Amino acid sequence: MNLRIAQLLTRLYPRAWRERYGPEFEALLLDDIGGVRAGTNVIWSAVCERISPTQGGKMDQPAYSFRAMLKHPSAFIPVAMSLTALALVLGRVALVGTGPEVVVNGRPDEGAVAHLWQLLMAGQLPVLAFFAIKWLPRAPRQTLGILAVQAGAVLASIAPVFFLNL
Amino acid sequence: MRSTRHVVLADQDPGMGHYSDPPLLVLASLASGPKHGHAMIEDIASLCGTRLGPGTLYGAIARLEQVGWIEPLEPEERRRPYRITAEGMRVLRAKMATLQQFVNAGAERLEPL
Repeated sequence: MNLRIAQLLTRLYPRAWRERYGPEFEALLLDDIGGVRAGTNVIWSAVCERISPTQGGKMDQPAYSFRAMLKHPSAFIPVAMSLTALALVLGRVALVGTGPEVVVNGRPDEGAVAHLWQLLMAGQLPVLAFFAIKWLPRAPRQTLGILAVQAGAVLASIAPVFFLNL
Repeated sequence: MRSTRHVVLADQDPGMGHYSDPPLLVLASLASGPKHGHAMIEDIASLCGTRLGPGTLYGAIARLEQVGWIEPLEPEERRRPYRITAEGMRVLRAKMATLQQFVNAGAERLEPL
């Protein structure tokens, strides 16, 4: 792995982690340790480190702890989709206000942002259902906690649409 | 504990038999003496056929260091070796004893077959 790629991959990690492990991690990546597979492994590990940083983490953290479960893609992807939808709506309001975005054939249309918002909100429903079906029987309390976080993100995304009559 | 799904398995034996609990593998590797990251990857691959990815390895190192089961030594150029602590050795012994019980019980069940 060349120096440029090693530096880029190391930069995916949080700053605190890089300050502690950055130089030795880069040195490890510079050794010939397995190309694309190693790169994919680093990318995934960096995402995990950002979701659940080592600082404050516990080695004996149970597999079904809230933090451990939050690392599952089906737990955090719906939250990320809701927050993306919220950012789109707020961005639209900041840029063009609360009126209709475009006029199509003489009629106001919701516009691309509204359609993206709808896709993001509808698209997360199967992921939410999958998460609930998979994890509720195994760890009901933690799953309900994460579902509450997901519901909060959904409500946060819906709130501006509802209150601003978008 | 960090997921163990993202270990890179050694190519020479695609069948069963790989053990992949990265923190335990790191402890087992350091039990034979201090090592830096690349040496650990090679040692673990020869020990059990599992080739840890660099991200997985450092995820395990970070957590083991945080709980005081391994400790860093002075860096050699940019590579930093680690060594197992007395507490880490105690934990490793306990884990190995549990695994040994499991192996014995499993072997007993296989005997009549």
